Amino acid sequence: MANPAPASSRGIAITEHRLANGLRVVLSEDHLTPVAAVCLWYDVGSRHEVKGRTGLAHLFEHLMFQGSANVSNNGHFELVQGAGGSLNGTTSFERTNYFETMPAHQLELALWLEADRMGSLLAALDDTSMENQRDVVKNERRQRYDNVPYGTAFEKLTALSFPDGHPYHHTPIGSMADLDAATLEDARTFFRTYYAPNNAVLSVVGDIDPEQTIAWVEKYFGTIPAHDGKQPPRSGELPDTIGREIREEIHEDVPSRALMAAYRLPHDGTREADAADLALTILGSGESSRLYNRLVRRDRTAVAAGFGLLRLAGAPSLGWLDVKTSGDATLAQIDAAVDEELARFAAEGPTPEELERAQAQIEREWLDRLTTVAGRADELCRYAVLFGDPKLLNDALPKVLDVTAEEVRAVAEARIHPDNRAVLAYEPTAAEAEAETATATESAADADADSDAASEEEGAAV
Amino acid sequence: MSTDYVPAMTFHPQPQPGTPSPWAFPAPERAALGNGITVLHCHRPGQQLVAVEVLLDAPLAAEPEGLDGIAAILARALSEGTDTLSAEEFAGELERAGATLDAHADHPCIRVSLEVPASRLQRGLSLLADALRAPALPEAEIERLVANRLDEIVHEQANPARRAAKALYAELFDAADRLSRPRSGTADTVKSIDRAAVKAFYEAHVRPATSTVVVVGDLTGVDLPALLESTLGTWKGAAAEAAAHAPVTGDDHGRVVIVDRPGSVQTQVLIGRIGPDRHDPVWAAQSLGTYCLGGTLTSRLDRVLREEKGYTYGVRAFAQPLRSAADGSGRSLIAISGSVDTASTAPALADTWTILRTLAAEGLTDAERDEAVQFLVGVAPLKYETAGSVAGTLADQVEQHLADDYQAEVYRQLAELPTAAATEAVVAAFPPDRLVTVLVGDAAVIADDVRALGIGEVTVVS
Repeated sequence: MANPAPASSRGIAITEHRLANGLRVVLSEDHLTPVAAVCLWYDVGSRHEVKGRTGLAHLFEHLMFQGSANVSNNGHFELVQGAGGSLNGTTSFERTNYFETMPAHQLELALWLEADRMGSLLAALDDTSMENQRDVVKNERRQRYDNVPYGTAFEKLTALSFPDGHPYHHTPIGSMADLDAATLEDARTFFRTYYAPNNAVLSVVGDIDPEQTIAWVEKYFGTIPAHDGKQPPRSGELPDTIGREIREEIHEDVPSRALMAAYRLPHDGTREADAADLALTILGSGESSRLYNRLVRRDRTAVAAGFGLLRLAGAPSLGWLDVKTSGDATLAQIDAAVDEELARFAAEGPTPEELERAQAQIEREWLDRLTTVAGRADELCRYAVLFGDPKLLNDALPKVLDVTAEEVRAVAEARIHPDNRAVLAYEPTAAEAEAETATATESAADADADSDAASEEEGAAV
Repeated sequence: MSTDYVPAMTFHPQPQPGTPSPWAFPAPERAALGNGITVLHCHRPGQQLVAVEVLLDAPLAAEPEGLDGIAAILARALSEGTDTLSAEEFAGELERAGATLDAHADHPCIRVSLEVPASRLQRGLSLLADALRAPALPEAEIERLVANRLDEIVHEQANPARRAAKALYAELFDAADRLSRPRSGTADTVKSIDRAAVKAFYEAHVRPATSTVVVVGDLTGVDLPALLESTLGTWKGAAAEAAAHAPVTGDDHGRVVIVDRPGSVQTQVLIGRIGPDRHDPVWAAQSLGTYCLGGTLTSRLDRVLREEKGYTYGVRAFAQPLRSAADGSGRSLIAISGSVDTASTAPALADTWTILRTLAAEGLTDAERDEAVQFLVGVAPLKYETAGSVAGTLADQVEQHLADDYQAEVYRQLAELPTAAATEAVVAAFPPDRLVTVLVGDAAVIADDVRALGIGEVTVVS
């Protein structure tokens, strides 16, 4: 049966502009739905933080919602939601983003709000906001990391993967001690250093009039002064491979044994990263993947087994393995089976059917991401900030579809092997006698409860 | 305020909105296939990912005694191979089509969700039809699904949000009511499930005459009636009556249950009671009032618990239909959910009760009501931008026996509701003396202070 490709690859219309103060602006017009997305990426993330101040970029992101010269504390939320819009902000290793999706006739309000805090946040920032949001962020950390089983795995593996002193050694949430140590003056300095029009990209996507939109952007953002206080982040360069296995055994009160690992992979934006994405998809994404078939279906040693890719542009990307054991299966069994599958894949490469399936999956993920105006706005900022050109967005999928089976095999052989990974081996400590027999899945109140072990982002709201 | 700071930018007055574009919740068209399947379909231009939702009339209340969880196992087993494909082959074919297929069992029915690029809709529908018409239900895969489910139960027990939900349902509903027990069964019931029982459950409850299919997406150039007849239309089965749903019975007198989780750095809070059927005319006003109480970061709960006190990353109030009947005899769960740091447990509960009592005494303000209506109505075009979100809501309406224009009607009602109606509804929904509070946390630390609050008799369970 034919496998017709989706009509996705025709690309989206993109125009670029630059204000005199250095603000880059990317527009994409689409009148299907009367909505418009505004997305602002600041080129600052946790990789810019210094020792003793981990978590500052994310804490600062929260402070951006606490008012500015013409906006009250939480006025940003009140005005956007009161206009029928939705909004949030997130912080990752490499950037901080803020976004509003608005009914099209309320677009100007979102631009006014973003400009006000870009130009005048310090007029409103005070100790009350700082103390309050410090507590909120500490509770975010408890909820998403410290109070859930395996919750700190991402932080631990990241620290093992990137050496002490490396800008990616710590994750965006930061440590409790550093969150406690951050001062109002730290926050002010952070703003003065990184929050400037020439360190940001603004994208507006959807049911817009481009000429009117640019006029509004010029009106609201145009007088915000540029400044050049920013220091580039410390270099994230590392050798292509680790050269050995770094392994840590964790004895914690977790429900089952687990094997988690991070493989050092090519930088985002390279053809090799796309090849690695395909390799990880074939090895560990979905219910026809090699690891799922081996560990979950055939050996029955795992209840979940999969690979994910954390794409990083300023440091090696990470290939994320997560296996939770089933019943009495041991980590030695998992280790042996995983390594056997990796070795076989590195030797033989993907079958044509596997490559076709992996490309179809990645294609669907792209369609999914680009189906909303907010998704498109975020991707345009990503290509502009990390790779210098938003139009690269339209080449991204064709590039993945162009990768050959031999390239996939080659990257697996070079990178996805035991001597290029950091491993966490979890052994449960709780006495089994304590386990209750009657438990449940209830979906009512826990929509936000599933913590994504490899989540790289910290949000401002929920 | 920091007084030494003078922003250098030029400020402009807050902009006024433009003219809103008309938008209405999409109206589906109805059809029936020759085999009795009811079809709802809706063309959404530009939505290249088509969403298909299937509702199978296999409610949890129909599960045989002692086999709680069999509907969940059947839902998963539907994608474990057909009369022509093995489980691995079926998963591979789905992925080759760039499709995802998910199924889960809830109180009203089993829902099967297919998402597939429009260009491969036929392939996706063919696979879906095979899964429904001729699932192989292989013995080996059923054994594995049972074993995996038993593994998952152990993981859910370690998750504070899931544990809270399980305890609340057990507390609220009569033990004889299926609602009181975990949707996917307990270890005791799941381990008794075998292939013969799953097959019998399938034959008794899954048939075309009592199934409904919702198709939403860009259907340009698609002859949908012919496509559906050639795929789902080939499924044959005897006529059947729709399942009847028993009235809900339960007890929501005010009380507190602490589920002991020693060492927890946060307490998971779930405060609930039994609410009205979604057919109740109060529903729109209750949604509006509940949003004002706890729908967002600027609602009454978060305004104090998060933005003033910093006790939490966020607390939400909501109502969730559980069983729904045209005569109004169904019921919903009404709840407040979130997590707070352990030391703030009793203070956060005290503040919550103060907020509820103040709300009852003073009511909502017109400004709160206006902002909430602006959000709930204004955000609709964003919320329903994707095919998946439209299909989900249309399927919910079918599942809950609501009219196809229910959601559109709710938007019309919301726009006209007076503040007093929202106040009355939310005060009736959250009576401070009729709330069951479940706390998952460190009982040794929190129990005494919670007892002193006087919000109900406190029981500690482990």
